Amino acid sequence: MNNRVVRKYGILSFIVLLCISCKHHEAEYHSITDKIETESKDYQGTSISSYEHIEDLKTMEITENGITFLIPTRKNEIKSYACTECHSKPLSEMQSVDLKKAHWNIKLNHANANTMNCVTCHNGNDMDELRSLTMNTIDFNKSYQLCSQCHNKQFTDWVGGAHGKRINSWAPPRASMTCVNCHDPHKPHFESKWPERYNTQKVNERK
Amino acid sequence: MRRLRVFGSLVKDSLDIITHGSKKYHLWMASLTLVMLVGMYCYSIQLEQGLSATGMTDRVSWGLYISNFTFLVGVAAAAVMLVMPTYVLKDIDFKQAVLIGEGIAVAALIMCLAFVIADMGGPSVLWHMIPGIGVFNFPNSMLTWDVLVLNGYLFLNITIPFYILFRHYQGKKSKSSVYVPGALLSVFWAVGIHLVTAFLYQGLQARPFWNNALLGPRFLASAFAAGPALIILVLAIIRTYTAFKIEDKTLKKIAMVVTVAAQINLIMLVSELFKEFYAPTHHSESAYYLFFGLDGKTALLPWIWTAISLNVLATVILTFHKLRNNFKVLFFACLILFVAIWIEKGFGLIIPGFIPGPYGKIAEYTPTGIEIGVTLGIWALGAFIFTILAKTAIKIETGAIRYNKK
Amino acid sequence: MSNDTKKWFSLNLGSKKKQKETTCGCGKTDGGCSFANTYNGMGEERHKDGFDQVFDVQMGRRTAFKKLTAGLLIGAGAVSTSCSLITDDDTKEKAQIDWEEQFKGNYKLMTDEEKKSTVDRLVRSYQLRTGKTISMSSQNAEENVLFGYAFNISKCQGYMDCVNACVEENNQDRKSEMQYIRIHEMEDGKGFNFNEADDNYYHEVPAEGHFYMGTQCFHCDNPPCVEVCPVEATWREEDGLVVIDYDWCVGCRYCMAACPYDGRRFNWSKPEVPENEVNKNQHYLGNRLRKKGVMEKCTFCVQRSRAGKNPACVEACPTGARIFGNLLDPNSSIRWVLENKKVFRLKEDLGTEPKFWYFMD
Repeated sequence: MNNRVVRKYGILSFIVLLCISCKHHEAEYHSITDKIETESKDYQGTSISSYEHIEDLKTMEITENGITFLIPTRKNEIKSYACTECHSKPLSEMQSVDLKKAHWNIKLNHANANTMNCVTCHNGNDMDELRSLTMNTIDFNKSYQLCSQCHNKQFTDWVGGAHGKRINSWAPPRASMTCVNCHDPHKPHFESKWPERYNTQKVNERK
Repeated sequence: MRRLRVFGSLVKDSLDIITHGSKKYHLWMASLTLVMLVGMYCYSIQLEQGLSATGMTDRVSWGLYISNFTFLVGVAAAAVMLVMPTYVLKDIDFKQAVLIGEGIAVAALIMCLAFVIADMGGPSVLWHMIPGIGVFNFPNSMLTWDVLVLNGYLFLNITIPFYILFRHYQGKKSKSSVYVPGALLSVFWAVGIHLVTAFLYQGLQARPFWNNALLGPRFLASAFAAGPALIILVLAIIRTYTAFKIEDKTLKKIAMVVTVAAQINLIMLVSELFKEFYAPTHHSESAYYLFFGLDGKTALLPWIWTAISLNVLATVILTFHKLRNNFKVLFFACLILFVAIWIEKGFGLIIPGFIPGPYGKIAEYTPTGIEIGVTLGIWALGAFIFTILAKTAIKIETGAIRYNKK
Repeated sequence: MSNDTKKWFSLNLGSKKKQKETTCGCGKTDGGCSFANTYNGMGEERHKDGFDQVFDVQMGRRTAFKKLTAGLLIGAGAVSTSCSLITDDDTKEKAQIDWEEQFKGNYKLMTDEEKKSTVDRLVRSYQLRTGKTISMSSQNAEENVLFGYAFNISKCQGYMDCVNACVEENNQDRKSEMQYIRIHEMEDGKGFNFNEADDNYYHEVPAEGHFYMGTQCFHCDNPPCVEVCPVEATWREEDGLVVIDYDWCVGCRYCMAACPYDGRRFNWSKPEVPENEVNKNQHYLGNRLRKKGVMEKCTFCVQRSRAGKNPACVEACPTGARIFGNLLDPNSSIRWVLENKKVFRLKEDLGTEPKFWYFMD
């Protein structure tokens, strides 16, 4: 009698245990891409915006490749803009011995002599503007249009958001640094430096 | 009301028993108390400093405490190896040893709980785990399963022998309709506790050393080898020092259990070694660290090779009838088997699970003095509790104390 | 010493069952306190002096120890409460706050009002203890937001600006040099060989023939750490962040064993941050000051990201290698990266679904 009772209760409790043992999952998706697809179907936007984080910056809106975003303006940042205040005469006339030497410290270290020299980007007749390879005028605020002539891949990445630095906020509207905010157009190469820290505890841990 | 009076008398009588004894007994208890006090002092240092007083780091975040916990759950589960033949197979030979086995289970479980509490970063907030008052992440977290089954097993192993002893104390026979279902339940429950503890490690996909199908069965096999080995040693001591009669054939039968379990344990070890070393993958790195060392880091090598050689030696000794039936050889074999499995299942399992870390970095682990102190303190606590329980139980079983209606 | 002891220290457990029941203010039932002596003098015969009353009392060894501890605790409590007449309001308020904080529930289950009140208590507690004011937010997850992260391996030069910014932003323990982020320097041509990578280099970067990539908590969408926590102290929020309630964590470190990406850190000792470096813009689930014995991890700077700012690592990286955004916004940079770049994640076969992708130019 005992064994039967025990067995009955044993089987019953086993079944109960089986039923309650399933893990509880909240809103199960098979993969993250499924989740993204499903949940962004009716994307209405969020209440978080980047305005408060970028309102102190002077930015302008551009649209490239169908994507609209903000970039910081450049003309107000350049110390000696407008260039024509000094470059009142054509360049050839300025290159005489007795005039003051300016920009003597800018050594062009960008590609090679076959590809780049000063007039590749600068318009000797109107120093307030830049010019493209096809002699079109390019505004200083939109200097990225020059870079994109050769560096189209990086440009596409930059427009999408995969290259370069986004300013302050992940929320729309996007504000991104332009090319010249990070890369000096005359010497775009970055020097190597030392790392910001060294962890001595890790060394101890691994002795 | 009457039961309460009997209970009160039982408590008084047992207090009487445990505070009187031979000089050796007092020496034993005094040294255990000393070790416990040392352990408590070390624990107080750990409470104040935080767990940085131990040797654990972010890379190896479980160390000596959890190793001992894992091993002792197995020892507790193995008490059932005496219960099962007695009540399921109705083998009377084991009956004498059952209470002792369950006493070991209780002591081992209390040690397990103590190790877990010692390992916690915030022992004062453990109430967060109580369902109802806190949050209990059942059934997702295997730790919650472990809490349930361990406490349930402790409850079973306290109430059933207590019932039997209570009845015997009054000179009455214990009703089999009461304790046999409990005994049967504890058989399955014991397998359950050790499987659940194994699943704690087995379910972690982040640790390939543990994430294999054989961990659970391996735990069971090594538990059923180490636990009864300890029981044999304890029974031998009880035979020598008390009036409790344990027949030779009981010891021989338990030795048989130990032998079979040790053999199965070795087979499983061979299977694991084959899997790790026949076609080594990136996941075999932990096994390489354990058995051969990695990048010059060889801290566990002497331990594991001692464990394996003792294990093999013990199994071989136990396999031969002639040697197994010679009690002196048997006790030696049981001792070395117990030590070997303690190493292999304790820190020979837990530490290599963390080395190398998730990004391949090796940070070795060495327990500090505080950790060792607390560990020894808890082992002393277990021995202390077991001695108390055993002494009382033996006195009741041999009829030395009986409830006298006043 | 009483003259009827036989052995050197066996306790006399004779038939004298009656304990001298005294309820004196300090809680000890017998001996050791001056009140008991006078009480005893009232009824029973005084054949034992105070010394005997302590050493010849009838109780078992274990009971004695228990009573001693209880007595000491109660005595300490009595002393401290009796001094409450002379403690100032600040201490009382601190005690009150500490009491309420000790017994509050799991943050995940709190209502917004409860969250606000616990934040207020913590701010007030900090003010009482240090005199400084911090701002702590309990801002919930925003609707329609799921945070994702992308890391450009070609751009990372190993500068470790991100590591520094993270440590400062999140008030991590300086003594143990806790870092959520690890930057690994790997050799070209060997793929992602973590075993041979160096994550603690100190030479000019970028070094010739090497590339760099960083790891941190990946905020998995199927997090193994959340599965295994026995008290649900860690969970995944609606906006995808895996967070920890530091006050609910019991310190079992199961989540640390379960994380395949080394995402979690434990406070083995009391975390120390120099007072002038404490970041006072805090979030309850983010960079507020933790105590010893609890877990912590990268929270994608919840105090910044829920306010619309980039996490500190993203902000600090000079090369723009780190990209962060809302995965549900089809116009976000992170979505553009996932759709136009060849992305991959670490240990994808484990099924954890991390929300941290790697790509190259």
